[in-house]
Amino acid sequence: MKLARIGVLGVSAALVFAACSNSSPGSSSGAGASGGAGKVIKIGTELPMSGGETANGVPTQNGVKLAIDQANAQNLLPGWTLQLNGQDDAVNGVHDAGQGGKNMTSLVNDPMVVGEVGPFNSGVAQVEIPIANAAGLLMCSPANTNTGLTYPPDAKQYRTTNPTKISYVRLAAPDSIQGPAGADYVYNDLGAKSVYILDDTETFGVGVGDSFQAEFVKDGGQVVKRDSAPKSTTDYTPLFTAVASMHPAAVYLAGTTPTGMGLALKQGRTVSGFETIPFMGPDGVADLGDGNTQGSTINIAGQAAANVSGTVAGIHDIPDAAKFQTDYKAAFGADPGAYSAIAYACAQVIIQGIKAAVAAGTTDYAGIREAVRAGATAAGNKFDTIIGSVSFDVNGDTTSPYMSFYKTDLTLNNGVGGWTWVKQQAFTDPNASATLAP
Amino acid sequence: MASLSLRSPALKSTAIIVAALVVAFLLLGFPQFMNAMTLGAIYALIALGYTMVYGIIELINFAHGDVFMVGAFASLWILTTPLGLLDRPINDPIQLTGTLVIVVVPVMIFMGILGVVIERFAYRPLRHAPRLAPLITAIGVSFILQNIIQVLFGPSPHPTPQIFPKFDLLTIGSFNLFGLDVAGGTARGLNVTMIVVALALMGILQLFVGRTRLGRAMRSTAQDREAASLMGVDINQTIAITFFIAAALAGAGGMIYGLYFGSVQFNLGFYTGLKAFTAAVLGGIGNTVGAAVGGFVIAFIEVAAAQAGYNRWSEVAVFTVLILVLVFRPSGLFGQALGERA
Repeated sequence: MKLARIGVLGVSAALVFAACSNSSPGSSSGAGASGGAGKVIKIGTELPMSGGETANGVPTQNGVKLAIDQANAQNLLPGWTLQLNGQDDAVNGVHDAGQGGKNMTSLVNDPMVVGEVGPFNSGVAQVEIPIANAAGLLMCSPANTNTGLTYPPDAKQYRTTNPTKISYVRLAAPDSIQGPAGADYVYNDLGAKSVYILDDTETFGVGVGDSFQAEFVKDGGQVVKRDSAPKSTTDYTPLFTAVASMHPAAVYLAGTTPTGMGLALKQGRTVSGFETIPFMGPDGVADLGDGNTQGSTINIAGQAAANVSGTVAGIHDIPDAAKFQTDYKAAFGADPGAYSAIAYACAQVIIQGIKAAVAAGTTDYAGIREAVRAGATAAGNKFDTIIGSVSFDVNGDTTSPYMSFYKTDLTLNNGVGGWTWVKQQAFTDPNASATLAP
Repeated sequence: MASLSLRSPALKSTAIIVAALVVAFLLLGFPQFMNAMTLGAIYALIALGYTMVYGIIELINFAHGDVFMVGAFASLWILTTPLGLLDRPINDPIQLTGTLVIVVVPVMIFMGILGVVIERFAYRPLRHAPRLAPLITAIGVSFILQNIIQVLFGPSPHPTPQIFPKFDLLTIGSFNLFGLDVAGGTARGLNVTMIVVALALMGILQLFVGRTRLGRAMRSTAQDREAASLMGVDINQTIAITFFIAAALAGAGGMIYGLYFGSVQFNLGFYTGLKAFTAAVLGGIGNTVGAAVGGFVIAFIEVAAAQAGYNRWSEVAVFTVLILVLVFRPSGLFGQALGERA
């Protein structure tokens, strides 16, 4: 009986902590306002913030917080005070599409929320886009890469309520770029002509794995085997043992570290033939977290994280990187994550949308929300952001997609390990010629 | 608890098990055989806990998977906090053995005490309540354990230091048998050590149950609680000892899990516990040999699915086999008919 009571206390304590961590960002960013007590207007975030996802969600939300605090400090919106409504879609430490849907419903039902940054995971976006589409709330994802989220044939099913109103835009390059970019990198830069592909059975992992595989074969490489392992998998050793006799020159981990790819890396390295060969992954593996960040790839894989490369579906070499780095570090005491600057840019898109709406005489929340949404994909509308001038095509894809390449270096951060930037590459919008789905 | 006699049925079972192992070895090849044996050893250690508790008080102890999880975290804590080990191999075999002993002995004792405490406060007051009541308590205990660990360690996966060096123990070359290519390879010291530790613990358990006074008390309590108590067996003490052993074995399983898989998380008890429970049912719940065999059967099915390239179907295969076994042998592979008690 006593044990049971302690357990209940523990549960309620955990709930209180969760509630605190969700609500504190809003109040802290409001306090930073210098333009006096203006009318409150909110930007939502919907990201995985806890457990194994900490390395993904927290630096991304911090990018939004920084944008809000700086906009308030510079009084970009006279008479208004920006605040954050932060939501967490991680359940038991892993992103959860059902939780994402609940969070999105609560964001669209908060009348003061006029734009949202997120989500992080494509599978979560599939649930959230229809909710935001019905409510006419602009979502700007810094990190979603699944091609079908915006590209007409698949994207139609997410826009059933308002098929002609785009409410979802993204600054991340889609997997139709990320997968092939990874394949070319493995084939040309790493010089590996045969590869083993392991996906995590999720929307993102299967999609990026498919586009990687197609490009690698087109390059002339050989895919020795393709496997799928759901996130409940605990033992990846038999999968790698089964492939060992085929002697792949590299491994592509098509998925994210919270859904098992970090563990696959760690266990795969113990199988003979995989000790030193290059492993490559998409941005779900290249989380850019150091070895001390709980749940990051290097933290989980330890010494096995040597010789791992990864793509990040965004720009690395931003116009004023040093200032952003300094400001971010001063505010949060850590280096920015892979998507911090891009999330900052997403917040800027929303803030500039609000500014334009207010300048045009709109003062009610519903009107501003609709103006922010419509303005994002309006033809010829450009946004001046920290990652440069950005605009979106008719489907909501960025017109200037970038891909950055990173590599692990276990000597960084006093031997704890970290990621080093290798190069970045500009691409053309693959869907630019596509028309809006009817 | 029965079927511990070493007479002819046991001999027959042993022959079947050995034959099955040889076939599995020939089909999977040596490296996958070792993978399956290691995985099976972990499942078997946990399955024993389910089956022992069921055998003695007919309770499906749903908290057992989480007891195992606590064991994994207790091992992680000893490795990282008092011992302060990093993710580096320990190359000196004596130091390595010493480290393992320093981890496994306190973990097994601590887990045993935890098992006794759980039995004393969550199950004993409900021993004469309807069957459903302790079952719900077990689920409650499972949530309590998960939440305590989540509050103490957080929800992130925690890397377990990989202290085993890559020493190779045993090499078997590839060979061809009647046109069948059998893959050879080298067994890692880690796998061999884990299998030996698990099999040794299971052997000690068999001897304990079959040859000691306390073991006899356990068997008699399992057969008929009232009669045993009339004959002077202390029922409460016997049941407490059963819980102690079950939880201690789960603790050892937890240590092996962390060292072998390299990462532990507060919710790992659910999936692994489910697999181990399936193993216990497959082998015939209430039967210790059956539980161990069931654990290995499930591990071999999973590894075979991965080897054949059907990894995402491995759980389907496991539960299909379970359903087939239960359709044709309702009491499991090694189970005895439990009549109206079941």
